[in-house]
Amino acid sequence: MPVKKNCIITIEIGTNAVRVVAFDLSGNTIATMKGSYPTFHSQPDYSEQDPEQIFITMLYVLKNLLNEHIHPQKIKVESICFSASMHSVLAIDKSGNPLGNAVIWADNRAKKEAQTLKNSAASKSIYTATGTPMHPMSPLFKIAWFKNNDKARFKQASKFIQLKTYIIQQLTGEYLIDYSLASATGLLNIHKIKWEPEAMLYAGINTGMLADLVPIFSSAGKLKKAYQNSLGINGDTKIIVGSSDGCLATLGAGVWDGRKATVTIEDSGAVRVIGKKVLNDKQQRFFNYLLTEDFYVSGGPTNSGGVIFEWFAKQFGDFKNPYDLEYAMDELIAVATKVSAGSEGLIFLPYLLGERAPIWDANARGVYFGINIKHERQHFIRAIIEGIIYEIYSIGKTLEEHCTFNSLSINGSFASIPLCAQIIADIFNKPVSISQHNYSVGLGAYLLSATEMGIYKTLNEAAKSIVLPEQYFPKKNLNSIYMSHFEIFEKLSVKLKDDFENVVKLQ
Amino acid sequence: MAQFILRHENSAELKQFVHINEFALKKNNSIRLNSFNDTCSEYLRFYYILDGKFEWVIKRESYTLYPTDLAIILPGEELYAEKGYLEIGSIYCLNLCLNTEDTGRKNPLGKWSSITSAELVSIRNILFHNSIPVLSRLQDAGNIFSQIRNELFNQEIGHVTRVNQLLDELIILVTRNLAQQNICQRDFPQAFLKLEEALRKDLSHHWTVEEMAALVGLGTTSFSDKVKSYSGFSPMIYLINIRISEAIKLLKKPDVNMTNIALDMGFYSSQHFATTFKKLTGYTPSQFRNNNI
Repeated sequence: MPVKKNCIITIEIGTNAVRVVAFDLSGNTIATMKGSYPTFHSQPDYSEQDPEQIFITMLYVLKNLLNEHIHPQKIKVESICFSASMHSVLAIDKSGNPLGNAVIWADNRAKKEAQTLKNSAASKSIYTATGTPMHPMSPLFKIAWFKNNDKARFKQASKFIQLKTYIIQQLTGEYLIDYSLASATGLLNIHKIKWEPEAMLYAGINTGMLADLVPIFSSAGKLKKAYQNSLGINGDTKIIVGSSDGCLATLGAGVWDGRKATVTIEDSGAVRVIGKKVLNDKQQRFFNYLLTEDFYVSGGPTNSGGVIFEWFAKQFGDFKNPYDLEYAMDELIAVATKVSAGSEGLIFLPYLLGERAPIWDANARGVYFGINIKHERQHFIRAIIEGIIYEIYSIGKTLEEHCTFNSLSINGSFASIPLCAQIIADIFNKPVSISQHNYSVGLGAYLLSATEMGIYKTLNEAAKSIVLPEQYFPKKNLNSIYMSHFEIFEKLSVKLKDDFENVVKLQ
Repeated sequence: MAQFILRHENSAELKQFVHINEFALKKNNSIRLNSFNDTCSEYLRFYYILDGKFEWVIKRESYTLYPTDLAIILPGEELYAEKGYLEIGSIYCLNLCLNTEDTGRKNPLGKWSSITSAELVSIRNILFHNSIPVLSRLQDAGNIFSQIRNELFNQEIGHVTRVNQLLDELIILVTRNLAQQNICQRDFPQAFLKLEEALRKDLSHHWTVEEMAALVGLGTTSFSDKVKSYSGFSPMIYLINIRISEAIKLLKKPDVNMTNIALDMGFYSSQHFATTFKKLTGYTPSQFRNNNI
């Protein structure tokens, strides 16, 4: 075993949990630990998290990892690099104290604010400038919501920051936001890399109310003395601002040259590519997030990922023991494997949570289509899985109107299920390699830190160090079966728009 | 089975059971008006339906009870028949006296019960914060009632002990079923979120793992394993992290007294709070307060 004398620590502030990973300088994992925190839904459209709980959880997990795995081996911590989920908003007062909870990406309270701007004349110029689709997830609309609906908080707020900004500020005292996360706020001009005045005007704020913009490699300052003492690391450890989870997962999957796309399916999902070109889609279907000054991570997000399969398992799966969801899901997958491609003409539209890309229809709902008297339980199970992947493919297909890619790197707990990986290969008709999502965010952050240290000259070179063997190959005869089903799927997703809207009124 | 009514004050069978106010099997063959407009009582009441269909109002909500259903009425809770009379059918009734002197978190049952005091805390939490007064298809409860009946009428050796054991069994059966009814045991994240909300509502309480596990409807071992794999923390550490994050919010408000913060957040003392806080954050609570105001 090589002597591990130095390490790079990555901290991912995810939607459900914080994950801390220690890497040695060659990118091998020394240790990994996580700690979860809850999302509160005080009203149907609300999704909030407690910034103090996230901070304490992060601190506890980091401290544990250091005490159990790093300090006993006398390993020096070179740097700590952060990543976080996109689109969170936290209002703070003039002393820097949070005004209530943070509003996270899944929060839909700003529906009206998003719709209003989308239907206005400013829509086109703001999308072109910011590269972020007009959707309530965007901090631009969340801040506008505060302005319109929570005047007391809006008035008291001295800044609107992101969860990661808050965590880093607690540790070092600086209010910073990296280009990546900033480009997901809907407030950043991604071409000039400056806060966009037109967007700020709509949100009712000015530059002083946002964190300072810095490149992803920037140092966030020195760790405060108290934390140096409690964590047992000194002031030399570099605190690197880092990037967003989506951008780093793409980097960590080794995607860089534009001939490859990543498919992530965790609870939700996304298809992403990296390039030097912004995808300026006329229908505003894609996001374009900045990774560095001249590279963009572009793609489309879906609400309908593994969460839909989990919903099905909870309702209709077999539970051997209380809460044994894994057993229930494994059983469903085993059953689905025995059904032939296409589920004998049963088609499922997975829009239980409304949908983002590519149809961007918050009112969309789930549909089973084509049921006949011979369909059995197993067809319904397989159709769910195929439906989730048709939706991912419909994003990939629209992306291909703008760029070409000839292989896929997939990650996420749902996408990496062997059956799902094979269906992805068959439906996309492209070879597929697998990387672990949780691991790829951390690995992306490691590559970023290692590049900052000079281990790699550029991020491009760092990304190339990730070699993933292709594990799944498309079976030609299956692709044509899937495509004839997909054709109906795609038509239905648009054709039902009015009826989706009507049925939502009844719910 | 013949009907019977045993009352502590006048039935020899119940002489040795001060805690059983009434135990009866009522067979109602005809309707008598105003026969069931009974409201509150000081007793913990159980009604088990043997046959018939009963429309009752419990705590102002209507319930239809069918054979093998069990109604649980807490002391002070209202119960009456929708139509003012007891419908045709047969039911077991059991009224238990509770220890009214112990209004705190102590033993609400009497010395007759052999349920341990630690377990009683959880049982009390579930039974007395219960919002579901009717458990459906609880045949096991019916079996317990007929065993109690046999013991009381046959008076074989050891019957006093057996009856008390059967009462304990009934209470445990009801508690376990309530715990499982309150949460669907499929969705751990959702059950865990409910637990988190319960903890946050009563942070000053010195929660035990047993109490937390009971709220999720699991035994302590599988509960701790589940929490650890889901959250990364043991239940107690998870709770301490909530306590510290809530304490941080209060420390940022200059008008809240430090000792109150410690006790309200469930620490044993301000010393305990200070040590725990400093160990994690590197700051004492007062240093932290001075830096953030």
